Amino acid sequence: MTDQMEKRLADIVLYGSVIAVLIFFYIPIATLILFSFTQSRFLSWPISEFSTRWYGELLADRDFWSSLGNSALLAVLATLFATLLGIGGAFAWSRYKFRFQWSFRILTFAPLLFPQLLLGVVMLLWFSVLAGWLNLSPGLWSAVIGHVIYITPFCIVIISVQMQGYDDTLDYAAEDAGATRWQILREITLPLILPGIFSAAIFAFLLSWGNFYITYSLSGSTRTLPTFVFSGIAVGSSPIYPALATLTFLPALVLIFAVGRLRKRAARRRLSKVAEG
Amino acid sequence: MAEMQKSWRDGALRLSTLPLLLLMGLFFVIPLIMTALLSFQGTQYYRLVWTWDTNVWTDVFSQIHYWKIMWRTLTMALVCTLLCTVLAIPIAYAMLHRLSRWSDQITLLMVFAFLTDAVLKTFGWVLFLDRSGVLNGTLEAIGFPPAAVNVLFSPNATMIGMVYNLLPYTIFTTALSMARIDRDLVLAARDAGATRLRAFHEVTLPLAKPGIWAGAVLVFVLSLGVFLEPKVMGGGTSPLAAELIRQSFETRVNWPLGAALTLVLIVIGAAVLAMAGVLAFWQARRGSND
Repeated sequence: MTDQMEKRLADIVLYGSVIAVLIFFYIPIATLILFSFTQSRFLSWPISEFSTRWYGELLADRDFWSSLGNSALLAVLATLFATLLGIGGAFAWSRYKFRFQWSFRILTFAPLLFPQLLLGVVMLLWFSVLAGWLNLSPGLWSAVIGHVIYITPFCIVIISVQMQGYDDTLDYAAEDAGATRWQILREITLPLILPGIFSAAIFAFLLSWGNFYITYSLSGSTRTLPTFVFSGIAVGSSPIYPALATLTFLPALVLIFAVGRLRKRAARRRLSKVAEG
Repeated sequence: MAEMQKSWRDGALRLSTLPLLLLMGLFFVIPLIMTALLSFQGTQYYRLVWTWDTNVWTDVFSQIHYWKIMWRTLTMALVCTLLCTVLAIPIAYAMLHRLSRWSDQITLLMVFAFLTDAVLKTFGWVLFLDRSGVLNGTLEAIGFPPAAVNVLFSPNATMIGMVYNLLPYTIFTTALSMARIDRDLVLAARDAGATRLRAFHEVTLPLAKPGIWAGAVLVFVLSLGVFLEPKVMGGGTSPLAAELIRQSFETRVNWPLGAALTLVLIVIGAAVLAMAGVLAFWQARRGSND
């Protein structure tokens, strides 16, 4: 095989694979957007008449609004806790050195190595026992704890990666200049790792927002958007779900572009630092 | 980066680790121990009875039905892992070296698709693949017989859904580790007369191994626990282990059985990961002896 032919073949395989995978990824998304504008009650192709009727039906559905509220509350709480714990965890992972550091790393990473449903089921057993003792029933609170357990390892990893580029001499310089440890943390360390913290928070929010398995096992009778959709499509497809899908794409899109911007800004800052140094 | 030596008496270390340790201990380690203990109890009239015997375990080990489902889960997970790992390699490579000008946009598109609610996307696949769905409707319009593609509600549909939901993980980890490879190494190999394929095979691929392995492990673990795809796309005709576990908790309200099956699945997953670890270690040693 000549070199030219080899290059041709490689190009076909490489460009082809990216185009194919993008089409593959967007097949169900495009299908949902198309069907959200149907007039018919039955979701079959071709769509004979277009309308925005199901958007109206969706917005009039009280279960939709309550699960939207639950999803938002759950995601905000989980993001808050997971990000705070993730900041601490990232310091312990990559800036400090201490006895039992490896045990700490393994323990805080382990939830990622469990299938999500099993993580949820195992926690559910414990929560049911706790609930019996404390006279509570599993609900939003147990889902929040489950999400935090699952999402914190992601936050630790993302913030740790941001810390890789951190220049320790800054801390020492500030210490020499008489800054307290709290001042160093607040004025120097945190601002520098802020892009990482933001990315971690946004990622945590999205992971929690879209989470199905853990919410399904832990939220009791409280419903979030994913479990609301699941309970709906399990009994037979209803025409409001494509409309719901299309509506939820919008905020996710905004958030993802925000992350892209933040990362680019962080990269530029790193580059300019290298140029100065 | 220099690391700061800390002792456990240090306030900053305690502040950054103790809340996390407390949470993990209370809601991750204790539940695991609880699950193990629970598998030695029994049920009567849908209620948990503290019997402390091994009845559930003899039941689990004597019923071939459970092991058939476990075996099916394991093979599905392995096939899914293989597909996701192999497919990710050309995609990650192309994103870095052929489409690098567009790689930001492509990454954003992939992240967006990835982070969209999996339940909705799976439902989207049903609408697409259905007998009267988009695919069959379009095929019929261009002259194929009605319902030409009849894949929905079969194990193949389950596999499409699993690969769809898990492929992004391997693409991202593989791309991350390929991006760290020094391009000069590949160019040096080419200068020394290696063909493109050979340079890829002997330079890029070995150096990208950590990311490829990480993605494979992640996908394997996640695919062991799927029940959304088998239920929604597979039509529940060939349930996997997660569905079995869910049923023993919800439908049969047999918690000790559910706990035992959960542990079996965790042990199977851990055993496969350990085997992969030993294999990787062995291969690395053999490679360094050459």
